[in-house]
Amino acid sequence: MFVLTKVKHELRIAPQKLSLPLLDAITSEIQNLFFDKVLKDMGLCITLYDVRAVEGGFVFPGDGAPRFTVDFQLVMFRPFIGEVLTGKLKKCDKTGLYISLQFFEDIHIPEHLLQQPSVFDEEEKLWIWNFNGNDMFMDLDEEVRFRVVQVKYPTIPIEQDKGAKPFAPMEITGDINADGLGLVSWW
Amino acid sequence: MKVLESNAGLLSNLEVLELLQKRGAAKGPLGGSISPAEYKVYEFLVDTPAGTQTRAALEEFVKEVKVFKLTEAERLQSVNLRPATAVEVHLIVEDCDERLSGEQVDSLIETVDRVLPSPPEKPEAEEEEAKGEEDEELDEAEEGSGAA
Repeated sequence: MFVLTKVKHELRIAPQKLSLPLLDAITSEIQNLFFDKVLKDMGLCITLYDVRAVEGGFVFPGDGAPRFTVDFQLVMFRPFIGEVLTGKLKKCDKTGLYISLQFFEDIHIPEHLLQQPSVFDEEEKLWIWNFNGNDMFMDLDEEVRFRVVQVKYPTIPIEQDKGAKPFAPMEITGDINADGLGLVSWW
Repeated sequence: MKVLESNAGLLSNLEVLELLQKRGAAKGPLGGSISPAEYKVYEFLVDTPAGTQTRAALEEFVKEVKVFKLTEAERLQSVNLRPATAVEVHLIVEDCDERLSGEQVDSLIETVDRVLPSPPEKPEAEEEEAKGEEDEELDEAEEGSGAA
């Protein structure tokens, strides 16, 4: 679920932060720049693991702030393909299920990766798995176990249709079509 | 920004939880130096099996499951998900039928149950514990009035 990523970045420390100990100033700058942001192909940045090296401290002419080259490690949320995760069912529609991990919402389980045979109930707006003649409802807010099949990092669209869903920089596609997957209460 | 190494190692849920605690997550999003996004991750993790785990239990577990010859990712998943049934073990371990016998699956479940602490039952119960003794008394008083 979480991985470490080693990064090197040139940070500009604003003069008002220079009264702080250097490491604290660097930490707060990294927090502003990276936390809760998706880095392409790297995942969602959660927090700072450690600062490994700090170099430089040059002040360029015409600029009142020092620049440090900092070598640090970030904790990224980047599930591997095939990883099993548990989240809450947030929304159902005809295209499938939407799962939330509280801190990450863009998880979709498409129709063709649900248990077979599953049908969408138009009245209840819920998916039902027909298991040996029993109707198993997938109720909202239930815990769902799913397997990660794909992690996508779409590029930012230049123009977006009015009705289009909000842009997500990182999208996970899940699969629940196997024994043990689906609602946790089923198994 | 330059990425020196995109995968410098996997982290278990417990390690991330400990890291966030060190940054002051227990104080809440406004108390410590923690950002709201980090607090969300913290809230998610305390309700997972990682909420009750300790480093010692994890080390013990890694030692004990060596006999099953699991891959690193499979060990990580076992720790994060804490499988309690055979069907969960089959999900986590690839080609489980070929690699582990029925008895080995049972013994893996037994090891998980014995070495890893049981997961947090209810999120409400845990929050109350964290608040401390004074609040416990309050809760008891509330429970009493509720029963009456």
